[in-house]
Amino acid sequence: MMTIGRSYLTTSALSAGLFALFAGSATAQSGADRNAYFGQTHSHTSWSLDAYIIGNHITGPAEAYQFSLGQPVKHPAGFDVKLRRPLDFQGVSDHSEYMGMVRLANDPTSPLSKQPIAEKLKVRTPADVIPIFKWLAGSLAKEEPIKELLDPSTAGTVWKQTIDIADKFYQPGKFTTFAAYEWTSAPNSRNMHRNVFFKDSKKVPALPFTAIDSVHPEDLWTWMDGQRKAGNELLAISHNANLSDGIMFPLEVDNKGRPIDAAWAQQRVNNEPLSEIKQIKGVSETHPVLSPNDEFANFEIMSFLLGVDNSVSRPHGSYIREAYQNGLAMQEARGYNPYKFGVVGASDSHNTVVSYTASNFFGQHGGLDASPQIRMAGKVEAGMSVLETSTSGLGGVWAEENTRESIFAAMQRKETFATSGVRMKVRMFGGWDFGTDALKPRDWAKVAYTKGVPMGGDLPPLKGDAPTFIVSALKDPDDANLDRVQVIKGWTKNGQIFEKVFDVVWAGNRQVDKATGKLPSIGSTVDIKQATYTNTIGAVELKTVWKDPEFDPSQHAFYYVRALQIPTPRWSTLDAKKVGVAPPSGVPASVQERAWGSPIWYTPTDAARAKAPPGVTVADLKQRGATALDDTQLKDLVSGKSLQVKNTVTGERFEITYGSGGKRMITSVAGALPTVGDMFGALHAGETGSSAEYQIRDGRITTNIDGSDFDVTVYKLGGKLVAARSNEFGYANYEMEEAKP
Amino acid sequence: MDIQSSSSDSGPKPSWARRLSREPLVHFLIAGAMLFAGYRMLNPEADRRELPNRVEVSDDDVAQMTIAWAAQWQRAPTASEIRGLVEAKVREQVMYREAVALGMDKGDAIVIRRLAQKMDFLAEDMSSVPDPLTSDLRTWFDKNGDRFALPALISFRHLYFSFDHRAGNTKADAERVLVTLAGKTASAADNESLADVFMLQDYYGDRSAEQVASMFGGTFAAKLFKLSPGTWLGPIESGFGWHLVWIDSVTPGRVPPFETIEGMVKSEWTNEQRMDAKRKVIDTIKARYEIVLPRSLRQ
Repeated sequence: MMTIGRSYLTTSALSAGLFALFAGSATAQSGADRNAYFGQTHSHTSWSLDAYIIGNHITGPAEAYQFSLGQPVKHPAGFDVKLRRPLDFQGVSDHSEYMGMVRLANDPTSPLSKQPIAEKLKVRTPADVIPIFKWLAGSLAKEEPIKELLDPSTAGTVWKQTIDIADKFYQPGKFTTFAAYEWTSAPNSRNMHRNVFFKDSKKVPALPFTAIDSVHPEDLWTWMDGQRKAGNELLAISHNANLSDGIMFPLEVDNKGRPIDAAWAQQRVNNEPLSEIKQIKGVSETHPVLSPNDEFANFEIMSFLLGVDNSVSRPHGSYIREAYQNGLAMQEARGYNPYKFGVVGASDSHNTVVSYTASNFFGQHGGLDASPQIRMAGKVEAGMSVLETSTSGLGGVWAEENTRESIFAAMQRKETFATSGVRMKVRMFGGWDFGTDALKPRDWAKVAYTKGVPMGGDLPPLKGDAPTFIVSALKDPDDANLDRVQVIKGWTKNGQIFEKVFDVVWAGNRQVDKATGKLPSIGSTVDIKQATYTNTIGAVELKTVWKDPEFDPSQHAFYYVRALQIPTPRWSTLDAKKVGVAPPSGVPASVQERAWGSPIWYTPTDAARAKAPPGVTVADLKQRGATALDDTQLKDLVSGKSLQVKNTVTGERFEITYGSGGKRMITSVAGALPTVGDMFGALHAGETGSSAEYQIRDGRITTNIDGSDFDVTVYKLGGKLVAARSNEFGYANYEMEEAKP
Repeated sequence: MDIQSSSSDSGPKPSWARRLSREPLVHFLIAGAMLFAGYRMLNPEADRRELPNRVEVSDDDVAQMTIAWAAQWQRAPTASEIRGLVEAKVREQVMYREAVALGMDKGDAIVIRRLAQKMDFLAEDMSSVPDPLTSDLRTWFDKNGDRFALPALISFRHLYFSFDHRAGNTKADAERVLVTLAGKTASAADNESLADVFMLQDYYGDRSAEQVASMFGGTFAAKLFKLSPGTWLGPIESGFGWHLVWIDSVTPGRVPPFETIEGMVKSEWTNEQRMDAKRKVIDTIKARYEIVLPRSLRQ
């Protein structure tokens, strides 16, 4: 086994060297335009502790790069797998905590295996794995570091080896590798993971900063700041916000319990230009609960706390779109936006090898999902339902050339996009001068760079009545056609957040339904039984120039593009066909694979903001002599009563009934029975309409919605009652009075 | 999995002495004997077996333990720590001797694996290959040049007929335009009204099949590389539509001249020789045993 591994390595290093001889020709491209490069920023090999434990024993970072280069590599279960089209870049991101220890202790050719401590890590029978895992994972959970394994002479050797391997596979112009690792902090199973990427390998430190050093992202950023100061440029990519239980994107206090301030926001923005929007453990764009009017929000949603069974991760604070929205509101109310970041798609495969598409799916978690039969069994492991896991996402960057400098710079300026795994290319430019014919010239993108900003950028100062956007999507030539391209807009007003999905260009002759404002479905060619589809519907390329029809120059806003493919069979449907069973019922039989672009932000000037009437803030109320109701007054006001509430931002009126037993329910909207959609959008914009628990304590009515607490404080000013909600950044947006029977 | 095949038994016959000097088993035996002698010298314990009831810890042993300790803990051990180390060592020795005396090493999977592994390393270390002569490398390269082949590269321009614009007529439209281009030059297609605007490039220089596949899809790449230069051809289908193509040039996959890659040839040669030598060592050792397999696995 060992010798085979080594022979692989020499052969590939050899072809790498050969390729460098003529790689120059592939990098030369026309003028100022940039190219889309596809890459993987998140994958694990046997060097990750958990990957080893679930059966990935042999293949390491070298094999991960070989796989991405298109060479056949062994799946942990022993069969060869191959990527049909090589990738352009990759940074293998093994968990930094005890990285490589178990794997290398069990590799007699490694220096580590000769050290005495290796004896404790040797797997002599399969049963040995469990105590070793308990020892190492237990040390992480109990925060009791195992000193011998963290010694620079041990951990540093492994870390250096990963960097050397990355350097060995780097072929500028052809295939870019990065020194990278995963900082694996998950306090109480709430995922705070980040992948750390280094711009080059020249000044990489002797040891990475791990979750053993600190579980707080703030400490990671401080370490990163220090690295940057020492001339070692690096960035972090957060992931699985969806599994963070609401702590990935906090609004009030940071991970150390300190109030969030401008310095915190700046440090976050400096260090975390990107977040993973899709990976095998779910999509972090948005959740149906947060975006009830987005009919495509329910895509590959996973919501659980890894390692804990039957626990749901709270949606609020766990999704990227809401973070973008709250970032705008924070910018408006507090003058800083910590959530100005772009997106990539990635994997998190623990198999060294990665499945990107449903048609080449081979599982992602060692022995837990290695065959169609095992996957179809519908098992739940450590809270993770195998059937709900997804294909790997894919990262895209628009860069000048395929080198570390160029790709890293694209990641830093957020000129990135994500796909659900397919090779779809999307881009967007925003500006004030794009005419309807902006796409006519053959070199339209070159012009767009001079007249506007690409994804990840800020719109230049207001000029004209509304911003225009060039959006373009090109299908994967080996995958399904395109259904539609959408622009997702988010904005804020007086601390409240809003979103709208615009269909901007689509395939076929469909018309937007006047009543619903929605574009009808493209239909489907999926034959579920045969697990096939055809490209007889949909488009190859969709592009247009779109102008925001609802632009308000006084409001902070962001815009990002989302492109959808026509429906195709989900991986589970293809597996079901292979096994000869009906597709599993808990997951959809077909999906619309998609791509997301990083946003472009609009920030109003002070003059533009001044034109809009200012909202009422708690500070204003207090200055005008308002007093907050105490617990007794609040109980008198609400308990067992119905209240008329007016949202002064939207003008909506609704009625809330607070039972005396601690439940509250929205009972009417604008004088009529609420529709489900209305209930979603009432006092708690975007919430489920079912009844919620409430409590009165510390001068607040605290309502628990989808697992998160929201506080309402009520102020009395003269004869009027005005309420402020805790997540509206100091605004008091609700006028209340007792409902007349 | 099979290790790459050997070719050491081909080519001009070297002299007997040189052949012998390259014979891995000879290396193995000589080096093995040296290693064994060296091992004895460095590990006198190996000789102490003759006194089964005596465990001796020498000053040298203590010095060794002290160094190992210091390497791990970044300080010298205290006197009591040294006593602890010695006690552990003694305990290990007596328990080990008792275990061997009771035959507990027999049939123990770990002991077996560990010893086999030691032999394996020995075989590999012994298979270290002497520096080859350039002429040897060249001879070997002549037979194994394929391993160093660069992929074929193609330079082509194309006219694009889009499914989006032409739906069911896409292929027919392309065929019609091809007729008008018959016998014409590459630049005859410069008229933009002939075809649709392609979203990527109209001309690609020196691309490998893999690169073409990632832009146009695998089927397109396979078909493209079958065409000949110098005339408008097609149409061929991609994931985007149909294309008429003009191939400027095809640089066939070629093996670079030996001089330009001698270093790579050497490392590949060395690797192969080592694998091969190791396999031979193991084969030779195996040949000294009668290996009996269950009937179902015989041949």
